[in-house]
Amino acid sequence: MPSRALAVWQNRQVVSLLVRRDLKVKYQKSILGYAWSMLEPLAMAGVYFFVFGLIFNSNRGVPGGDDAPGGYLLFLISGLLPWLWFSQSLSQAPNALITHAKLITTMKVPREIFPIEVVAAKFVDYLFTWPVLLLFVFALGGRTSAEGLLLWLPLAIAVQLVFSLGMTLLLASVNVLVRDIERVVRILNRVLFYASAIIIPSSLVLESDFPDWFVTLYQLNPLLGIFKMHHAVWYPADAPNALILSTSIGGALVLLVAGYLTFRRLETSVLKEL
Amino acid sequence: MAEPVIEATGLGIKFAMNRKRRRSLREMLIHGTKRDPNASGAEFWPLRDVSFSIQQGECVGIVGKNGTGKSTLLKLIAGVLIPDEGTVEVRGKVAPLLELRAGFNGQLTGRENIYLVGSLHGMSQQTIDERFDEIVEFANLREGYIDMPVRHYSSGMKVRLGFALISQLEHPIMLVDEVLAVGDRAFKRKCYRAISRMLEDDRTMVLVSHSENDLRRFCTRGLYMKDGRLVLDADIDTALAAYQADAQAEQEAQQAKRAAKEAKGSPAATDAGGAEESTDTGAPTEAGAGTAEAAADPAADPAAPEGGTGPAGGDRTTGRGDDRAA
Repeated sequence: MPSRALAVWQNRQVVSLLVRRDLKVKYQKSILGYAWSMLEPLAMAGVYFFVFGLIFNSNRGVPGGDDAPGGYLLFLISGLLPWLWFSQSLSQAPNALITHAKLITTMKVPREIFPIEVVAAKFVDYLFTWPVLLLFVFALGGRTSAEGLLLWLPLAIAVQLVFSLGMTLLLASVNVLVRDIERVVRILNRVLFYASAIIIPSSLVLESDFPDWFVTLYQLNPLLGIFKMHHAVWYPADAPNALILSTSIGGALVLLVAGYLTFRRLETSVLKEL
Repeated sequence: MAEPVIEATGLGIKFAMNRKRRRSLREMLIHGTKRDPNASGAEFWPLRDVSFSIQQGECVGIVGKNGTGKSTLLKLIAGVLIPDEGTVEVRGKVAPLLELRAGFNGQLTGRENIYLVGSLHGMSQQTIDERFDEIVEFANLREGYIDMPVRHYSSGMKVRLGFALISQLEHPIMLVDEVLAVGDRAFKRKCYRAISRMLEDDRTMVLVSHSENDLRRFCTRGLYMKDGRLVLDADIDTALAAYQADAQAEQEAQQAKRAAKEAKGSPAATDAGGAEESTDTGAPTEAGAGTAEAAADPAADPAAPEGGTGPAGGDRTTGRGDDRAA
């Protein structure tokens, strides 16, 4: 494994080239180009704000109360942007190897760089959406804290990177052999969206009358912690508790190990099938 | 003796016979690739029990019919396939010319593709900068094409650009799979010169080709593959002779079989359908092409070294004959 890691590190330039190529191809053929990176989350935020913010004008459970700085709208935006990062990695993950079949079957590069590239490209996309977030923060008077900026933000990003990488390694290799994965992923995308407190604050489930087993199950979703951390940057009251935090970090690490082992194990057959 | 540059021992790889094998996800994750529930008869070995070693500076040609594992062997050496049996050890970086067009992204321009594929092959940004003009000149692209998306290129242009790029690599080992068959005559001559130059640098080369001229021109040693096994490891002339003798024998056997079938079939087949008739008319032409090939090759060989009209014509016949046999 150390030698593989070294080989990947030596190819880091290739990863950055692939990422740049991806972005170039993506923006080249569209007129609005970069603007799409911001328009998509804006449109989603608009829809959810209309439905949950205006129509169901009930207790929305915004952490720290409905009058917390930024209100429900900032809560939406600050969850949707990292969610888009995650969901786009998830839908791209099964194809990470298949789309590069030609490269993989003609030259010897560490195969890991293709999943890594997907994760990196989506991360760069996410960074591009930060201007939108900051715009809303200033307009809505969102406030952050030292804890939010120095602890929750870097931790959220780090855990999400580890989680996405493990997920991509796993799905990319398995999907070459069993194409059903693509379908599964579409369903997962939907389920995880509602299960990870992106638009519905977690307190509405955690402090509700749901049976205990359901609440525990809800907290075992590693993504819940990741998005609670993203929210906690602006809403200190949303900081994850010890259980959620540990399932989040632990889950990401387990997924990375499992993903990597699967990737290595299936490599021989994957190469034959490509 | 110095350590061999390429050393294969007991090399083998297997493929699943029916790609639609039913294995559940659970089984695959638990057993990996080691155990296949419906293994018996469901797999075949395109390559097995292959052992050889190649010293630095050698140029080795691999000959054999289509589908005897030549390309698979190159892929194993290149490291883009992982063997199920045995090992292949390669000491030094490999420049694979397995499929030249591959790796180019149709959406990107020629320039962008050169940078991408070049760095995938381990060239530094600086090296590519330095050699960029040389690559474009070698590829002989028309004015302005280099900044056009590769999807607008003709296949010949893509191949030229691919070869131009790969030939700039300084890797000590080259693997070449049938790529000399493409490109027009002028470009082919350029490729020949480039390859000769590389061989003079004491680089090692493994060449898969159906063109005897190419093989004789560069190779000193020949590996004759038959049904996934290495049957002869000798100098190139001996290997080619063995291949030819086998091909001839097979052709004769086929002809004999056909003749026997015809003899048996014709009295009864007074009322036979059009389908059979068409196969019958197909047969003589095929055999004809085959004999033409056999006759043309020895004649073309003496004229080979200069790479003029003669060998090119010879190549074409060989290629066509093979395609039809496949």
